[in-house]
Amino acid sequence: MNFRDIISGIAFLIFGCTVVWVGSGFDAGAAYVPMGVGILMCLFSLSLIVKGVVQTQQNGGLSSAAALIDHPGRFMATVACCLIYYLAMPTVGFYSTSTLFIILLALVLGERRPIVVLGITVGFIILLYGLFAMVLKRPLPVEFFLVS
Amino acid sequence: MFDSLFNALPVALQFGSVVSLFVGTLVGILIGALPGLNPVMAIALMLPLTYGFDPVIALGLVAGIYNGSMYGGAIPAILLKIPGTPAAIATTFDGYPMTRNGQGGLALKTACWSSAIGGIISAIALMTLAPLLAQVTLAFGPTEYFWVAVFGLVSIAVLVGSDISKGMLSALLGVIIGLVGVDTISGAERYTFDSLYLSGGFDLIIVLIGLYAIPPVLEMAEKSNATYYDAGSFKVDASGNALGLIRQHWRTWTRSSLIGVSVGILPGAGGNLAALLSYNEAKRKSTNPESFGTGNPVGVAAAESGNSADNASAMIPSLTLGIPGNLVAALVLGALMIHGLQPGPQLFTKSPDVVFGFMWQMLFTAMLLLLLGGMVATRLFAQVLRMPTALLVPTTLVLMAVGVYTVKGNMTDLYVMLAFGLLGYLLHRLAFPLAPVVLGVLLGPMAEQNLRLAMLISQDNWGSLFTRPISQGIIALLLMVLFTQAWKILRKGRQN
Repeated sequence: MNFRDIISGIAFLIFGCTVVWVGSGFDAGAAYVPMGVGILMCLFSLSLIVKGVVQTQQNGGLSSAAALIDHPGRFMATVACCLIYYLAMPTVGFYSTSTLFIILLALVLGERRPIVVLGITVGFIILLYGLFAMVLKRPLPVEFFLVS
Repeated sequence: MFDSLFNALPVALQFGSVVSLFVGTLVGILIGALPGLNPVMAIALMLPLTYGFDPVIALGLVAGIYNGSMYGGAIPAILLKIPGTPAAIATTFDGYPMTRNGQGGLALKTACWSSAIGGIISAIALMTLAPLLAQVTLAFGPTEYFWVAVFGLVSIAVLVGSDISKGMLSALLGVIIGLVGVDTISGAERYTFDSLYLSGGFDLIIVLIGLYAIPPVLEMAEKSNATYYDAGSFKVDASGNALGLIRQHWRTWTRSSLIGVSVGILPGAGGNLAALLSYNEAKRKSTNPESFGTGNPVGVAAAESGNSADNASAMIPSLTLGIPGNLVAALVLGALMIHGLQPGPQLFTKSPDVVFGFMWQMLFTAMLLLLLGGMVATRLFAQVLRMPTALLVPTTLVLMAVGVYTVKGNMTDLYVMLAFGLLGYLLHRLAFPLAPVVLGVLLGPMAEQNLRLAMLISQDNWGSLFTRPISQGIIALLLMVLFTQAWKILRKGRQN
């Protein structure tokens, strides 16, 4: 974790300095706390960096940290599916996009039983429709086939 | 004050409230039973749906989910050695060996009764201690509230996680997130970068769902390989009668519940700590400590009553001071604010039905566990573990999307949620605790507002922050927490 501590400490240091720099432009009353918080952030970042450096020297430059992302492929695929889902939702509609999203992501994550995927997806969407459209009556992005 | 408690009983027993208690407890047990999902996530997802509801119904759902999930976490812990919630880790120590010894049914029954007893004792502590503390806090002014907020934030930052620097950095990050938007005192825009979206600040629910709900789902997606648990794992025999359990465990339940209640009141300490302390104490008191870890039902009773006794007591500082003891308590504050109620001592006089009704709801949901957590129901709940994670991931993500979208009907909120989710994932993997971030969002603005009010009243006399006796008491407590932690670190350093 030592190199990660150093890098995250540097990231927080930069962030803390930015907070102080931007905060210095606020009115006096509104600036106290942001600047104080930014300064504290810089101090704790420095402490983290120093500790990371000391530990790195003690370990002889070796780091035993686990990977930051265990399965980058699945991780990226999930995030990408989420982004596509959010982008498509306003034009395609909530229920249609959600149905496609569940099926697509389940397939991407390795589920290959069509009856299980379709059964759970349809059941879940019906449940959502019952809850949001019939019970709670919440407006959600309208389905593309219903747009006049 | 106690008259109000009894006057609120009919409110907690009205039809809508009772339905919400049943639904909340059922949902809570199901969520708790699913490894990877946690009560914080469930409550955060549920809150946006309750905007149009009466606060009593919304809080009934929160109470049910909270108490239900604490028991639900024990189901996979006992059947599969997988804690459904972090608080159920200690339950695996003896629960799983009991299943291996053919006593899975007894272990589940013991867990159910222990959770219920712990929850009942905790609710009674909430009902008796919170009104008394609320009377004391009527003497608090802005200076005291400032110090209480600082105390809550600093103690969580230094007690949660293994590194003080990381805890403090997490808390400070949360404070900055909480400061984004228009300053309520001067009207100045802070960290908005001329964005209309940012001028309104970040919604607590969106930050919470992002930080707390997305990282476990991403981790689930990474581990997902379309496997599901073998149905044979869920075959449990009904065994053990209630009277026998009471006779065998009443001492353990009492001791562990008292530990859980004390731990719950402390900010930063959670159900997992309460369960581990209770388990260790039960082992220490036992005449046969070697049997712990090999399938001793006392171990299950201690762990489950300890983690459930933490639930209601964590609400004591939250309802009386507006300082949440844990993340669920922070969500309860969020729920109150969503419904236009301001937590603190005034809540007890302005909305007694809501606050005292909630205390009754915590008690009733603990009792409901005995009804809903019975053997037949538990067998049914265990079936939820068959849900393949490859489908659990997208369905949970859809629930998050709809929950967040319904807050303001704004698509940008979904991207913001995802961004906070990625931030939460990164922080978690870098061993930065997430609880201080969320509490920083909540307590940072509260500390700032009270500090500036105190400065206005004292005409910028900074010395006034240190002169009032109650403030001095809180500062002394704060220093005690800091010195204790520093002492621990020094001692650990010497040992190494």
